[in-house]
Amino acid sequence: MKLAGYTLKFEKKENFTGVEAAVISVLAILFALFLVGFIFLQAGVDPAMGYYEIFSYAFLNPFGLPLTINRAIFLLLCTCAFIVPMRAGLWNIGMAGQLYLGALSAFAVAFAFGARSGAELPAGVVLPLMVLGSAVGGAVAGAIPGLLKGKFNTNEIVVTMMLNFIMFWLVSHMIKEGGPFMGSGGEGEGYRLPASLQPQPNLGVPFTFWFAIGLTVLLHVLFAKTRIGYQIRAFGLNPAAARYAGVSPFKISLLVFIIGGLIAGLAGYHYFGTVPGLFKIPKNYGDFGDLAFYGIICGLISQGNPLAAIPLAFLFGGLTSGGRFVQGKLQLGFGIDYAMLGVLMIILVAFQFFFRYRIVLKNNKER
Amino acid sequence: MTAEIKYGDIVLEAHGITKRYPGLVANDKIDFEIRAGEIHAILGENGAGKTTLMSILFGLVRPDEGEIHVFGKRVNFRSPLDAIELGIGMVHQSRKLISAHSVLENILLGHPQAGSILDLKKAAEEVGHLCDRYGYKLDLNAKVWHLSEGEKQMVEILKALYRGARILIMDEPTSALAPPETKKLLKTIQIMTRDELAIVPFITHKLPIVLSVSQRVTVLRRGKVVARLNTADATEQKLAVEMVGREVLFDLERAAVEQGKPILQVENLSAHDEKGIHSVKDISFSVHEGEIFGIAGVSGNGQQTLAEVLAGLRKAAGGRVLLDRLDVTQTSSLDRWKKGIGYIPSEQRAVGSIGDFSLVENMLMSYYYDDTFSKWGFIDFQKTRRFTEELIAEYGVATPNADVNAKNLSGGNLQKLILARVLSRKPRLVIANLPTQGLDVGAMEFVQNKLLEARKSGAGVLLISEDLDEVMALSDRIAPIYEGEFMGILPGETADRETVGALMAGIQQKAVEQ
Repeated sequence: MKLAGYTLKFEKKENFTGVEAAVISVLAILFALFLVGFIFLQAGVDPAMGYYEIFSYAFLNPFGLPLTINRAIFLLLCTCAFIVPMRAGLWNIGMAGQLYLGALSAFAVAFAFGARSGAELPAGVVLPLMVLGSAVGGAVAGAIPGLLKGKFNTNEIVVTMMLNFIMFWLVSHMIKEGGPFMGSGGEGEGYRLPASLQPQPNLGVPFTFWFAIGLTVLLHVLFAKTRIGYQIRAFGLNPAAARYAGVSPFKISLLVFIIGGLIAGLAGYHYFGTVPGLFKIPKNYGDFGDLAFYGIICGLISQGNPLAAIPLAFLFGGLTSGGRFVQGKLQLGFGIDYAMLGVLMIILVAFQFFFRYRIVLKNNKER
Repeated sequence: MTAEIKYGDIVLEAHGITKRYPGLVANDKIDFEIRAGEIHAILGENGAGKTTLMSILFGLVRPDEGEIHVFGKRVNFRSPLDAIELGIGMVHQSRKLISAHSVLENILLGHPQAGSILDLKKAAEEVGHLCDRYGYKLDLNAKVWHLSEGEKQMVEILKALYRGARILIMDEPTSALAPPETKKLLKTIQIMTRDELAIVPFITHKLPIVLSVSQRVTVLRRGKVVARLNTADATEQKLAVEMVGREVLFDLERAAVEQGKPILQVENLSAHDEKGIHSVKDISFSVHEGEIFGIAGVSGNGQQTLAEVLAGLRKAAGGRVLLDRLDVTQTSSLDRWKKGIGYIPSEQRAVGSIGDFSLVENMLMSYYYDDTFSKWGFIDFQKTRRFTEELIAEYGVATPNADVNAKNLSGGNLQKLILARVLSRKPRLVIANLPTQGLDVGAMEFVQNKLLEARKSGAGVLLISEDLDEVMALSDRIAPIYEGEFMGILPGETADRETVGALMAGIQQKAVEQ
């Protein structure tokens, strides 16, 4: 491309460092916010004020911050659930279904101890079992596509996606009126956990926060340092070469989906077990599904790097809570929060072009 | 547009065609011409540059240097569309048809007269005439997915002819055909050239076919034209030697080595390739300690399948594989690595390495599964790096450092790395599948010497090669392979080039077991 005596060229880069990636991502976020500024202007709102409201609610406000943290934990777990199969070159689109089964299992554990009657239970015993149950439930939901992929090479995208619907209706069946987990409140809600099983957040941070962060770091170590992580990465980058080196496609497919499902199951526990302590399906299934699907987007933007997913999860968590808040406070049109997220995602992905290419400007006269 | 062609006129001329790919000169100053009414065969082993040349003539690939003249006019193809305009058609090795559409619809697809409204009736009539002329019996309304391979090929030929092709390029036209279909195809080609002055260069590596139909042959090797012959002057032996031979011969030090007990025993092994074709048929042989057992053959005769079955990457359909007298027929590839089989695959980049992994991580492909570089499931990358650096120095891999991604290495350096990775495990049996394919002379010699070293240290080596000189120079015993069968097992000392060349071309009866 020629511009006023200069030639603009894209040169391919061989490698990029983590610092470069971070700088490019921050620039992408700034650029996206700049673009969204026009939406604010169009709505007659000063962009600076809009952003101030969003970020101060999301990260400073005593009501907004816990909401941001809660969403970020959920998003981070969903992202990890997506990342693990992604590193093996497989697509987990079934976080929603996996977390439904995970949450269902956690509530089943409490149910087995008689929590539905409202009786207080020994939290030291039941809580760990609930968490364990959610992990097992999620892992089972994940094992299904993993097994089918490894054994019959079915398309994991289709299987995981369809399982979302199956799990959704399974949950509906359990908590609907007359269902075994039915709550006293009526339709669409499961029973409420007794107070003793609702862990109190510490300094506004639920204990699942440490779970999520710990898991993320563990995943990083798994991929960077271990034999299993090595095999997963090898299989993801070149399945034929991995098979040649003795990596079993069956074992890897099964393993990554079990790990992914397990993490999604924990996300299910977090979403239903800690904060509302109530198992319910939102009236609009889409709301909920969307939030789990942000895990896919975060996973793709972080390029499978679990550590990069942490700031991303907080950013998106903050923008969903702050965006919704500002929409109400400044009386903006419906959907501005979604528009903002959409623009941000597209720009983040688009800017990844600069991970691989650099722009070179040459003065034509010099030649 | 080109009505005035007489038999024997030059219709297509190429001068100095050169095409370079990173680390490889696919076509090196190729001069080439096609005359009206001739069947011109282009012969060469895989990677010799046949397909690149044809892709250039059809406008799929643009040459770096050189000129093409068609019907006397200099042309510069920007896309196949330009070539088609000038009457060049191509029938690809893999079918390019839409299987859910009918024969007629496929033939019409892309035809300039098939505008927005299709006159199917008129088109059917015209295509029908073409069919009659060549004796094709085709239901024009049949869906393509109902057709056999041979019929699909007919559709492609008809498609090209209906678009007015006068020069028809066919890439490996017989590779997917059953023998009767092949016969029919060759007959059609002959009718075409005789009656229509259509010109058919076609590419193949099957010698009997070349001799039976073509008038002239151009032999390519490593991107260069090594021979231009009238078919009448050629013999199969001569062509075979031209095709696989090599000018540069090295003095490889092949020390006498005491042969020990058998390491690999293969008994009546049969296997199918990925297309389900029975490509390894009842093969039996053994490889001993300190022996290089060479399998010589033109690629596509079952060597690939055999290598994969022995490496544990493909199931055997019958027979047994014994490693150190232990039956490993049903075991996984990982198990065979652990038991001492080291496999060097023919596809360096697709199978033998992981392009987006560093050299250190590539080295781990042969080490991640045991405790050499890991403890409690954790890999010691520092230790692996030091080891990799040592091997890089020992094998002379040209690279700035060990953190470079494998995709940035040239073919020769990558092969050295793969060799280092496999041989450093000191395998009992080395399976080397086309280990020097595509390498320059220096790297080739290095690889060959390494295989000889492995032999000297008491390993058994199974060498699979298309290069006759290589097999002759390295092997203690030679098995020419043709269509999935060994044509004999000859002692390397006494076997002569012509016999082996003839056997691997399938034109001599099986040699008597010696």
